[in-house]
Amino acid sequence: MTQLIVFNIFNGLIVGAFYALMALGLSLILNLSGVINFAHGGFLAIGAYIAYTLMPYIGFWGGLIVAPFLTAILGLIVERLLIRRLYGRDPLYSLLLTFGLAYIFEDVTRLIWGAQSVPFQVPAILTTPLSTDLFFLTGYRLFMVALVAVAVAALFVILRKTRLGMRIRAGTHDLETVSALGVNVRVLRNLNFGLGIYLAGLAGVLAAGQLGLQPTIGTSLIMPSFVAIIVGGLGSLTGTLLGGLLIGVASGIATIYVPSATEAIMYVIMGLVLLVRPRGLLGEEGRLH
Amino acid sequence: MSRASVAGGIRRRTLIKTAAAAGILQVSSPFILKARAADTVKIGLCNPLTGTYAAVGKNELAGCKLAIEQINAKGGILGKQAELLVEDSTSGDAGTAVQKARKLIDRDGISFLLGNINSALALAQAQVSNEKGILHIVPGGHTDAITGATCHWNVFRVCNTTQMEANAVAGQLISSAGKKWYYITPDYAFGHTLQAGLEKACTKLGGEKVGADLTPLGTTDFSSYLIKAQAANPDIIIFLVQGDDMINALKQAVQFGLNQKVHLAGAQQELEPLEGLPPEARIGTWVFEWYWNQPNVPHVAEFVDAIKKETGRVPTARTWFGFTSTWSCALAAQAAGALDAVKMAKALEGMKLPPEIGLMPDQPFFRAEDHQLIGDLYVGTAQAQGTAEDDLFKVTQVVKGTDAAPPPAETGCKLTWPA
Repeated sequence: MTQLIVFNIFNGLIVGAFYALMALGLSLILNLSGVINFAHGGFLAIGAYIAYTLMPYIGFWGGLIVAPFLTAILGLIVERLLIRRLYGRDPLYSLLLTFGLAYIFEDVTRLIWGAQSVPFQVPAILTTPLSTDLFFLTGYRLFMVALVAVAVAALFVILRKTRLGMRIRAGTHDLETVSALGVNVRVLRNLNFGLGIYLAGLAGVLAAGQLGLQPTIGTSLIMPSFVAIIVGGLGSLTGTLLGGLLIGVASGIATIYVPSATEAIMYVIMGLVLLVRPRGLLGEEGRLH
Repeated sequence: MSRASVAGGIRRRTLIKTAAAAGILQVSSPFILKARAADTVKIGLCNPLTGTYAAVGKNELAGCKLAIEQINAKGGILGKQAELLVEDSTSGDAGTAVQKARKLIDRDGISFLLGNINSALALAQAQVSNEKGILHIVPGGHTDAITGATCHWNVFRVCNTTQMEANAVAGQLISSAGKKWYYITPDYAFGHTLQAGLEKACTKLGGEKVGADLTPLGTTDFSSYLIKAQAANPDIIIFLVQGDDMINALKQAVQFGLNQKVHLAGAQQELEPLEGLPPEARIGTWVFEWYWNQPNVPHVAEFVDAIKKETGRVPTARTWFGFTSTWSCALAAQAAGALDAVKMAKALEGMKLPPEIGLMPDQPFFRAEDHQLIGDLYVGTAQAQGTAEDDLFKVTQVVKGTDAAPPPAETGCKLTWPA
């Protein structure tokens, strides 16, 4: 039993790391631009399908590098043409827009790649378990966790050390002043959106490696990220990371005792956090009214 | 301007509402409109075209369309052209499914209703068709109750009951893989009855259940369930999840190397998920309800070619469900000589499907007592690649439906006819 619990905690951390990767992209966009990007799952699916399409030519590794960039470019275009027009309005406008986009993305992927799952293969070396007892530690899953760690570290370095990052952080706190100081807020928001979508594309390619790749892959993965943000607290990327890990471990442990509640437990935690600490674990006070 | 309004003014409540709406996104869906011709016999298909069951739904639709073409080429139904009206029932929203079934009956004036893949939606639609007295054929909803406890005089079913699938595969699993079974079961009507059916069949043959987990529909990560299943030390892990869930579960089980430690198997398997799996994960012992590669069965090759011409892929069991269901409507009308639902239902009872429609070694027939189609079941193993493209299943045994189906007295079905 103890072994089962320990296994599920470690496994939950792996799963949670993945939730966090998706949630970080959402969180970035939400914090700076106030857009709840419903189409995040759609971008995720498109990233995965782009990698799937390119794989025969550039292999899995090539796809892993190129697909998130192409997805990010798509993100930049969508922001430039559509989302930008709705900044400053009631958030429901951009919500409706991205909600519609989510549908469009899902149906476009269905139109291009078909409704049926397509086989997405990762190199055999990654899928071999490292030991027979700890069979859930496959090379692929550790690689995924490592990549999440690198992405998170890189993100924090970008946000703290680069001019762009400092502007994004400053803008998150007070966009008006940043704008008054001569920073081009349009470009800032555009690049920030692209960065968020890059993370969605990366998550998509990684997800397709261990799940079936079908047009609904994004919608089925996106809910835990919303929960991770709410639990972790709006405005805090560290909180989002923590929220992702927390719900990952919780649903792993739920499997041992109430297997049918692995999904419900996430919402129970969300409910508890909202009751006890409405701003989320590490959320900023000011954002949560 | 306040700070909040510059940043878009996101509030926690908005985000929570958003999260709720994200849930809705998974069940709501667009609908399909079709042109209406005058003076035709209308067959209404209310089946999933979006969501989890979109892929299998589209295959059933392809089968229906081919049947309509063939029916019209042979003179239609009672001398009139047959017309297919299609509605997207969604994959899981019973309210939408019922509303669209009512619309097909009340506004479009269909004579036959087809659907649904989702067992729960099939049961809901059956209630509507029964209330309206419309002949209803369920192509691909498997839960026992449809031709069991909640059977109706006007409802017929083409795909197998979960108990039939369980009975067909249990013997082979016990003899080839072992007696200790662990179940990974989807948490809805289909999964519950399929697991109950397997437990019954397994106990009868001296096997035992060492554990079972119910998984929410749409589960993406099965790792925690697999860790638990492995810890129970079973001979076989039985996967009863379907569609995309099946792909996720099997792909992860094989990446964990579980296939080298225990036997991975299940009851119902379909070509659609196998096509979505990488070759190394196409493994396990399963039941197919119909298979396209039956070289010795007449007319199957023509059917395969006709579907390939339309869709570019081989037909799956789903295509066959749609095809057979639609043809059954025409056969019922022809045998009854009128579009009267009671007469047509009576005519279908005991009817054997002609070889070019049945497409099985033994002619399938609608059992009179519970309106269940009794056809062959194909037990075998999934394979990475067979003799031809899309040949992903190796049939090792054809089980007769008469051997797999429980006797009518055990189904719990009592048909009540209108006075």
